[in-house]
Amino acid sequence: MQLSASSRHRGALALLSMPAVLFTAMMVVFPILYTIWLSFRTAPLGHATQFVGLANYSQLAHAPQFWNSIKVSLTLYVISLALQLTGGTYLAVLLFQAKRMPAILRSVLISPFMVPPVVVGMMFLVILDPSLGAANWVLSLFGIGPSAWLASPEWVIPTVALIDTWQWMPFVALIVLGGLQSLPPSVYEAAKIDGAPSRLVFWRITLPLLLPTLATAAILRTVDLLRFFDIIYVTTQGGPLNASDTLNIYGFHIGFELFQFGYASALAMTLTAMVFGVVLALNRLRKAVDW
Amino acid sequence: MTAQSVRRVLVLAVSALLPVTAHAASFDWQKYKGQTIEVLVDNNPIGQIIAKNADAFEKLTGITLKVDIFTEQQMRQRLVTVLDANSDQIDVYMTLPSREGEQFSKAGWYTDLTPMTSDAGPSYNFKGLSPALLKAATIDGKLTSIPMNIEGPVLYYRQDILKKCDVAVPATMADLEVAAQKIKACDPSITPFVSRGLRDALPYTYSVFFHNMGGQYIVNGKSGLCSPQGLKALKLYGELLKNYGPLGVVNYSFYQISSLYRDGRAAMAFESSNELSDMMQGGTRLGDTGIALLPPGPGGSHPTTIGWGLAMSPYSTHKGAAWYLIQWATSPEIQAQNEVAGIAAPRAAIAKDPAVQAWLAAEPVRTQWQHAISALATSGNSDVGYPIVDNPESRQYIGDAVDNVILGSQTPADACSAADGSLNTLIAKDGG
Repeated sequence: MQLSASSRHRGALALLSMPAVLFTAMMVVFPILYTIWLSFRTAPLGHATQFVGLANYSQLAHAPQFWNSIKVSLTLYVISLALQLTGGTYLAVLLFQAKRMPAILRSVLISPFMVPPVVVGMMFLVILDPSLGAANWVLSLFGIGPSAWLASPEWVIPTVALIDTWQWMPFVALIVLGGLQSLPPSVYEAAKIDGAPSRLVFWRITLPLLLPTLATAAILRTVDLLRFFDIIYVTTQGGPLNASDTLNIYGFHIGFELFQFGYASALAMTLTAMVFGVVLALNRLRKAVDW
Repeated sequence: MTAQSVRRVLVLAVSALLPVTAHAASFDWQKYKGQTIEVLVDNNPIGQIIAKNADAFEKLTGITLKVDIFTEQQMRQRLVTVLDANSDQIDVYMTLPSREGEQFSKAGWYTDLTPMTSDAGPSYNFKGLSPALLKAATIDGKLTSIPMNIEGPVLYYRQDILKKCDVAVPATMADLEVAAQKIKACDPSITPFVSRGLRDALPYTYSVFFHNMGGQYIVNGKSGLCSPQGLKALKLYGELLKNYGPLGVVNYSFYQISSLYRDGRAAMAFESSNELSDMMQGGTRLGDTGIALLPPGPGGSHPTTIGWGLAMSPYSTHKGAAWYLIQWATSPEIQAQNEVAGIAAPRAAIAKDPAVQAWLAAEPVRTQWQHAISALATSGNSDVGYPIVDNPESRQYIGDAVDNVILGSQTPADACSAADGSLNTLIAKDGG
């Protein structure tokens, strides 16, 4: 039997793509499958793993620290996302209307998210140090008393959210700016002919048309925010008193400081499921608001 | 003395020296020439000494030395990954017996070094190493590591501030609060007292308060954190930092404490003896600092004494060469070099080394530091947290209790009781 030219072509393509497929399988699929497998086992150091069924999942369901970390993760997510979407949209509108040096303004704006999060963490650790930092010194110039910032259980989450917003709001602004530039001019011309005031144009035209763009920005930030790790690891390590102990920080602590790999794998799978769930929901929302 | 007696003494002396000289001549540093070994070290001054002197070791032994250097947490992660895979990739590694000794021992990750100590160079003097640290490194009868340094929290205090505020150096634990109170009233711009408040780091300093107050972590198989002595220690440590510590002290570890003290903003700092060089950096604090142990409490004086050790992987396929590295890195020669860099040597005799003597004599504060180190070596206690397999987790519960008191979110009794429940579970898991 002779193969047709197209079959031979498909076969060749499959053969050529095989190394990439195998590499992806090894680097992505294997760790995920291994983590799932490990989440059903206990892994004492230096000894063989043992199957424990759903015991690790049951343990986390009964652990107050786990529920605290879910609460911390979601609170941080909601505050940060709200700040970044509203601030980013505002910034994008300003940039869209900027007549002077728009290229320079954009370059300056994107600089925060070019900085590695670890450097951002170290920078704010110094600025916000309650005794030696610049933030309290500035407050003192206005007669305002010092704040504990990252060392206060009440203020740590808003402070971390502000640091993350400082870094990532420009990213959201750039996405929204792209959305603004792609909006159809005809709609604005019609509004202008009807004499619609600019505030009404923003709320009734611009914002509804921007919803798909905002949903895309929200999806991108959701993945990062629910897995929040680096800045907290550098600044508070989950403290004080677990007040900034996100699910990712908690999982890291259990896995790489206490070396309870089975339980840590169950936490990692829970976090993955949570991220997937929220992203899927946002994706549906994005489709619903598409125009 | 008659000529005959002199001859007898000489003969005795020569016969006593013969085994030493014979051994010295027979010890072959090049025995494992051509082999390659890998050592995993922490990126602290103690680990850096190995990295810096790797060439000298290679020249002496002909062994190729690969040095992997990481920060403490990353080092431990790499170590666990390698050892859990039964890999022979790492031959020698740095370990903290007070933290992971029981845990790694249970996992079977230490080679018993006892038989190897007899195969040492002529100047090694194994018996000259700190007995307290050797005891801490001996688990279930096995010598798990050889001490590289000796350290413990000591009280750094500003002599000029104490004098200005008419405060004597605290002689008892109760004096600490009185002194802090007086300093606060005398100069409100100065932080009267600072120590560790970061949850996982504070058991290192808190343990001295706890032991000096008369506390014991495990009493009859149960947690002793909430004993009357324990409650007193929790109250004193928590309230000292709450009322006289810097704002945000719950995030303070050695780095912040050293910066605050070096910057002249703290009158008393209870922090590791290892921080001497950082605290004195720039020289501003050299002339006005005094160093002492934490004053004794109702339970006496029980300073925390720990040290990094060098251990050998049981999966090493070059155990002979690995032992040569361990004995070289823990030799009196290398440890004397460490001492003048501010890393206290776990050998009492090092203080008599001429180079060390000259270094100590150059600044009075160094002599006080050396006295504190000598006291750590003789009366130290290595229990930083609970002496159980899950020691790292036990530190977390102690830290939570102390931080709750510092932040005022719980009374000492409530904070302690919450921690005790979790600690008793850990002790039971460990087999009581």
